[in-house]
Parts: sequence; C-alpha cells; structure tokens
Amino acid sequence: MNIVVAIKHIPSIADDVPVKGNNVDFDSVDFVLNEWDEHSIEQAVLIKEAVGGTVTVIGVDLIGELDNALHLALAKGADKVVKITADDPAADSHMQAKWLSEAIKGMGANMVFAGVQASNDLDGQIGPMIAAYLDMPYIGGVSSVEANSDSATVNKEFAGGAGAKYSVSMPFVAGVQAAPKPPRYAPVSKVRQMAQSATVEKVAPSGDASSGLTFKKMAPPVVTGHAEMIEGSSKEVAAKIVELLKSKGLA
Amino acid sequence: MLTPIEKILFILLALVSAGFTFHGFKTIIDTVRKGRPAPELKNIPASLLKAGVTVLFQRTIFKARKALSAVHLGLFFGLITYAFVNLFDVLEGLIPNFDLTYSGKHLAPPAWTIPLINIYSLVSDVMSMFLLIAITIFLVRRFIVKDKALTYRENVLLNPKVKAGGQAKDSLIVGVFVIMHVTAHVLSQAYRLTEGADPFMPFASFLNSIFGASETGMHVAWWVSIGWVMFIIPYLSRSKHTHFFMAPINLGLAKQNPRGQLDPAIPLKVIDGRKYDPGAKVITDLAWKRILDAYACVQCNRCQDVCPANFYQRPLSPSALEVNKRYLLKEATFGSHPDLLLAPLTETVISPEAVWSCTTCYACVRVCPVGNEPMADIVDIRRRMLIDGFEIDSGVQTALQSLATNGNWMGKGKRLRGRWAKELEFPVKNATEEPVEVLWFVGDTASFDERVIPNTKMVARIFHQAGLDFGILYQNESNAGNDVRRVGEEGLFEQLVEQNMAAFGKAQFQRIVTTDPHSFNTLKNEYPQFGGKFEVKHYTVTLLKLFEEGKLTVKNKLSHYKVTFHDPCYLGRYNGGFTAPRKLLELLGVEFHEMPRNCENSFCCGAGGGQIWMGKVAPGERPAENRIKEALSTFEKHPSDKKQLFIVTCPKDMVMYSDAVKTTGNEGKIEVRDIIQLVAEAVGVEEVSPIVG
Ligand code: SF4
Ligand code: SF4
Repeated sequence: MNIVVAIKHIPSIADDVPVKGNNVDFDSVDFVLNEWDEHSIEQAVLIKEAVGGTVTVIGVDLIGELDNALHLALAKGADKVVKITADDPAADSHMQAKWLSEAIKGMGANMVFAGVQASNDLDGQIGPMIAAYLDMPYIGGVSSVEANSDSATVNKEFAGGAGAKYSVSMPFVAGVQAAPKPPRYAPVSKVRQMAQSATVEKVAPSGDASSGLTFKKMAPPVVTGHAEMIEGSSKEVAAKIVELLKSKGLA
Repeated sequence: MLTPIEKILFILLALVSAGFTFHGFKTIIDTVRKGRPAPELKNIPASLLKAGVTVLFQRTIFKARKALSAVHLGLFFGLITYAFVNLFDVLEGLIPNFDLTYSGKHLAPPAWTIPLINIYSLVSDVMSMFLLIAITIFLVRRFIVKDKALTYRENVLLNPKVKAGGQAKDSLIVGVFVIMHVTAHVLSQAYRLTEGADPFMPFASFLNSIFGASETGMHVAWWVSIGWVMFIIPYLSRSKHTHFFMAPINLGLAKQNPRGQLDPAIPLKVIDGRKYDPGAKVITDLAWKRILDAYACVQCNRCQDVCPANFYQRPLSPSALEVNKRYLLKEATFGSHPDLLLAPLTETVISPEAVWSCTTCYACVRVCPVGNEPMADIVDIRRRMLIDGFEIDSGVQTALQSLATNGNWMGKGKRLRGRWAKELEFPVKNATEEPVEVLWFVGDTASFDERVIPNTKMVARIFHQAGLDFGILYQNESNAGNDVRRVGEEGLFEQLVEQNMAAFGKAQFQRIVTTDPHSFNTLKNEYPQFGGKFEVKHYTVTLLKLFEEGKLTVKNKLSHYKVTFHDPCYLGRYNGGFTAPRKLLELLGVEFHEMPRNCENSFCCGAGGGQIWMGKVAPGERPAENRIKEALSTFEKHPSDKKQLFIVTCPKDMVMYSDAVKTTGNEGKIEVRDIIQLVAEAVGVEEVSPIVG
C-alpha cells in the first residue's frame, strides 16, 4: 500500500498572533504542524502497520523550518519525507494544493491523506483541490480508513454524530477528521535520531494557482470588555448577582 | 559427645548442606550480575562497614513502626547469638568433653575463660527464651491478627505464588524452624544437666527439672537442633529470608549520589561493548543494584505504607514490585522458568497503570530499611514504555508535546513567559541582556498559571524592595525538565537541559534562585552532570538571608494567624530544605503547628512525577485532600479564633491544595497561602493592581 500524506505548516496560536500590514507578521510567529495532519499521519501509519506498505509525508516548506515536522513524522513511522521548497510564508491553500499535487503526481499513491482542514484558514480546500488536480475521488470528514486490496472501507462523520461507511476504490484522496486512535507520541530521542540520520527529499515548487482572493485588511481581535469575577461565599455571590440583575432592570 | 557413626553422618550432612548453600548464593550472584552496570560506587569497604554498624543497631528500621522494630532488634540479636550457639553446639558434638555447662567444668578450661563461659551460658539461655517469645509475636501478627500492613490492595498486580500466600508459607517455615531449633537446643542443654540446676542457665535448668537428664535425649535434641540448621541455611538462600545476608550488603552498596539525581537511562559504563536501549523492559534491563534490591527486600511493606499512590487506591505498591521481582527471579533461576527473565516487567511485576501512578515522591526509598529504590525501577520502566510507543495518558502526551515545541507544559508560546513581569510597576531585568547577581529561574506554573502569578509578582516586589539585583530569562527560560525526566522522557529532558544551558550561557549571574522546588532539584542535582555547575538556592533560603542581613524587616508581626507547613517533596525529602521555611515562619511571628507527617515524613501532594499532567482523575480521596484533613485535625488540637493557614512553598502546591480545600468543602476553615504572601504582609508590601492589564 502506497500512502501519501500531505501536511501543512501553520502559524502557532500558542503565542499572540501579531499582524503586519494585511497579513500575519510571519517573522514573529512560530510555525507548527496543523493538528488535523497529525491525525492523517497517524491514520496512514496505522494502515501501514496493519497491511504493510510505505508512508510518504510531503509538505510545503514556507519558512525553511519544515524539517522539524518531517522528522517528527519519521519518528512516528513514516518511511519517506519530501519538502517543497517554497520559502513563501504567505502561500495560500490554493497555491499549496497545486504544488503538492504536482509533486504527488509521479508517486503512484493508492491513497492520499490530508487533514480535513487547518486552523489558520479553516477553508478545508487542500484535500479537494489535490483530488481535482490528480483526478481522483475525494471523501472528507473521515474518521477511519481500512485498506483492502484495491479499495478501502472509509468511515465518514456527519454533523450531529451520524456516521456512514463507504467503500472507496483506489486511488483516492481523503480529508482526515480524526484517526481511530489518538496520534502517538514520538519520543524526542527518536526525533533527534531521525534529524541526524534521515534525508529529506527536496522538490522545487512547480505550477501556479491562485484563489483569486486578496487580503483587504487583517486586524487582531478587539477586546471589548472583561468578564467580571464575583468573589466571596456562595451567598455573597448570589446576593451580588441579584443586585446586578436588578441594576440592569432585569429583575 | 557424638558417636563415630554420628560424626560421619554429620560431616556428610554438612557437606551436602554447604553444597546447596554454595549453589544458592552462586545463583543469586550470577543473577545479580545479569543486570546492567550501575553508577560507580566510591569507597565500598567503608560504606559496607557503615552498613554493618547500621544493621547491628538496626537503625534504618526505626524510621517507621517503632514497637515492632524493637522486637525485630531483639530477634536480630537473638539470631546473632545463635550463630555462636550453633558453633558451640557443633563443637560439643565433635570434640569429646567439650561441654560448657556448670561453667565448663568438664572441659577444665583456663580460669580466665570461666566468666566468659558464664556470660555465654546466660546470654544464650535468656536469648533462647526471648527468641521464642519474639517469633511467636511475629507469627501471631501474620497469621492470627493478620496485620493489614502485610497485605496488598486488590488492584495491585501480584505474582500468582504471592497471591497464593507464598510469603506466609516462607514465614511459617522459618518461624517453625526457629521455634523447633531453639527448643531443641535448650532441651539438648537441659538433658546435659546431670547434676541439677546450672545457675547460668535458668531456662534449661527449668526444663531439666521437668524432663531430667538423658543421654539419648541429648543426642536426639542435638540432631534436631543442628539438623534443622543444615536444612535451613540452603533454604534461606531460596526464601524471603535471604535478606539476612543480602540486606546488609545492599545497604552497604546503597545510592551514593544525591537523592535528587536519577541514574541515567542508558548506563554510562558499557561492559563488553553491550548495546543498551534506554530504560527497562525485562528484569535484566535493570541495573544490577535493582536486582539486588529484590533479594535484600525484607517484604515489610513499610514503603507501601508511605506511598501516596497506594493511599490513593492506585494499583501501585512499591513493595509488591520488589516482591514480584523476587518471585520472578526465584522461578527463573531456582525454578523451571528461565524464560521469565525475558518477560516484560509490565506483565509480571507491575501493571502499566501502576507505573503511571507514581508521583516520584521518594518516600518509599527514604523509608526502606535496606536501601532499596523501587522508584528507580518505575522510572526505568516508564523510559522504555515511551520509547516502545506505549500509549500514554493523553494529558501527559499533550504536556510533553507542548514542552517539546514551547518549552513549557501549558501550551503557551515562549514569548508569553515573561509577560507577568511586564505588568509590574518596575522593570525586571533580562538576565540575558545585562548582568545580574541573582538569576531567578521562575518555572512554568509560576510564569503562566493565572492563579499563581499574583504570588510570582509578590516575590518580584519583595526582591525589589530588598534591593536584590535580580533578573529573569524571559523567553529564554525553558521548563527545567525535572518532571519530564521522571515521566521517563529522557530525550526531551536532555533537549530542555540544552536549551536552558544555552540560556545560562548567554546570562551573567552569580547564583540561581528558584521558586519551584522541582526546578530547584534538577538544577542543583542533575544539571552538574551536563556541565551546569552553579549555586542554586530555593527562594525560602534567599528570603531568610534577606531578613538576616536586615534588607527585609518585619513591620507587622503575624500573630493573628495559626499556620502549618507542608514540606514539598523536592525541597524537603530530596534536598533537606526543612529549616529555612520554618525559620521564616518563626520570624514572621505566626502561631505554628507541625503536622504529624512533617520533614522527611512529609506526605506528597500527589502532583509530582507528571501526575499533575494526567488527563484522568481517579476516584477516591486524593493525597492532597488527606493532607488538608491532617492540617485541620492538627489545628483542632489548638483551638482558637485565629485564621488558619496552610503554608506552601511550591507553586504546584498552591494549585493542588487550593483545589483540595474546595473539594473537601473546607473553604472558610482553612486557606492555602504561599509563604511569600505572609512575608509581603509582614514587611508591608501590598498587592498593587497591575499597570498594564
Ligand atoms: S516514589 Fe512515592 S509514589 Fe512512587 S512508589 Fe515510591 S512512595 Fe509511591
Ligand atoms: S522495598 Fe524496602 S520498605 Fe519496601 S518492603 Fe522491601 S524492604 Fe520493606
């Protein structure tokens, strides 16, 4: 089984996200692996462990720091890692999908996984667009994949907790919502070992695409007011709440 | 006394017994040598000698269970006496006329030996009586009273043989042996007394008055007494009572490096070019010392008594761990299951859930009378589980991932670490940009936890008021890695050490002060191994010094407070930091009451060793809740209207105990405060509302 996992490097929201001009100030944020991509890597490795095969992880290197994420993927069980050397932190998901599909084209993938969305733009476009460029079927909201010989049994989740089971013939692209198991932990010693011994294949970005959208303005959220914490015993708190409601004419 | 045929029989028996004994101990030594290299020990003869003295006075067992320990002390002296008794009995058997009754008059000894003979007769006779009583007490305790301290929780993994009462069988055999052996010896002496009572043998004389003297009786009793010994010595090497021999050795070879320094995940010394994976999966992955622990264990469960995880009904018992190891080794070497040496420890000696319940509080190691370190096994097992991809608790995983990317476990960006300092009314120096006298290593909880930050600011204000030249590392500080290492993530620990060492390299300072005892421990005891040689102090010591130098003065005495103090494991038990906080409290003028479990005996809050990261909270009374109750019952003995405070000196404790006060419904009765809050009140530093915010 030949599985390709397309990943995305995105600004971390552990820090404040500063804005510069019409976009994020990319020089003052750290980049991290998109959370949903951790699930698609886990799903790919689980399939490999069940039926054998190879897992290739590929991503666009936006700021020259993708290696960390790729070494992590290797430590978790990926066999091969590839980075598309773009060096453009502002590359949007349309651009990235184009570059990724050009690079994935020649890989002979039976399945391509992508995180169902990424927390920076939340547009969920990369998976469907890769499918379109590669002319493969796409299935999103995936919560588990089981590989058979030339098809896969795929569980997909719908709003409200409903689920459906599909049989999808290969090759196909899946947008992974969650792996059946929480993504495994990669011990740092293993990641470091990979950093020393593994090779990251480099590919130049090829092709051009645009979402046709431009940023007009980006601004940090405006803090409009603080929650007031009412201190004291439960009786005192209750009394104050009643008082407040009264003062607002609500009681 | 013995006939020639008896003598031949005796010599044959002695040879067979010696053969089995030799085989027994050789097997033990060979098994211990299968373990990995342990850190080098220095000056072994001296520490063995010291251990010998300790054992002679049974010092270490008195750390707990005082009354029983006294009986054990008697038992111990009894058995030493009996080593001589057996020697003389054998001489009596082999050498014609060798007879020590009636001051040895049949032997016609030199006059100066007569008092010695009398002393020997009296001591051995009285000791015999005492031994019979003491053994009866121990047997009654185990079999009739069924002391709960000798049992294990239902949920603790136990070797099937232990479950089936293997330890009890062992005790019974040895107990019966001692009773038979001692009785037979005294009878053999009683039968010897052909001339009536011997004033130096009251017990034997008493028996003589009932049974009279008898040549045949003497032979039979002699054979029973010595025959038992020939059987029991080789048996001992295969039973729990190997501790007679192994405990003193183990104590002599006990940990020499600081308590707060874990042994490395991979031995530093390599033998025969062997390759080692980090940590331990099977028993021979443990250091040889840890294998010796199993043989030295007296299976007294003192460690289980003090284990906070065991208290919290977790399936962890440090003693069960040692006992299981022991039974596994026995079946693998003396029994027919050599394959057990390759069985995963998590299936044979400790359950995975138990492995992840340990708070690394060190109480088990501290209390163990024979120098065992069950905690070290647990950390080694965690190390390998992590490498082998064992599924870990989701909370721990999230914390570790955040530590790897952000350098803190709270999922906060590096740049946010110093934000609290920006909110103060004076600037706090960045130690990587300008030289400072004191580098304050703040730690994660104190830097990020909103509940603790007011105290962190208070520390800064007090340092500032006292004119202390201090600075912090801002975003260059990473978690010190104490608990990361104890969770078993050695690689991440090393990464954090490298990050901090790089930050220290950029800074100029004379000494480090920490508010967090966990950071304190690893900076002080483990960073030196990575080249980090600096003076590290806990803030309680720094505060005390500021008072002593007159840089801080108490303006308001705090006599309106009634307080007790919780020793954090990593400040107290690990690093002996007992006095500074107590002296501070005395200076502040509070009414102070000590909880029953204090200093070395302090009871862990339950947060250490990664427990604070756990996503799942188990049901049952938590250690911190139990501790709050302990504080309240301490206060009950000194009733007054004063406000009751539970004083802590660790940011994690602030969080743990504030929660525990709420969950036990004791709000209003007791309040948790960091010692800095009291210092601030006493020296007159008010909480200032933030300028930025
Ligand atoms: S270190 Fe503490 S929690 Fe861990 S086994 Fe020992 S006593 Fe129990
Ligand atoms: S490890 Fe030590 S304290 Fe625990 S049962 Fe064994 S001898 Fe007793």
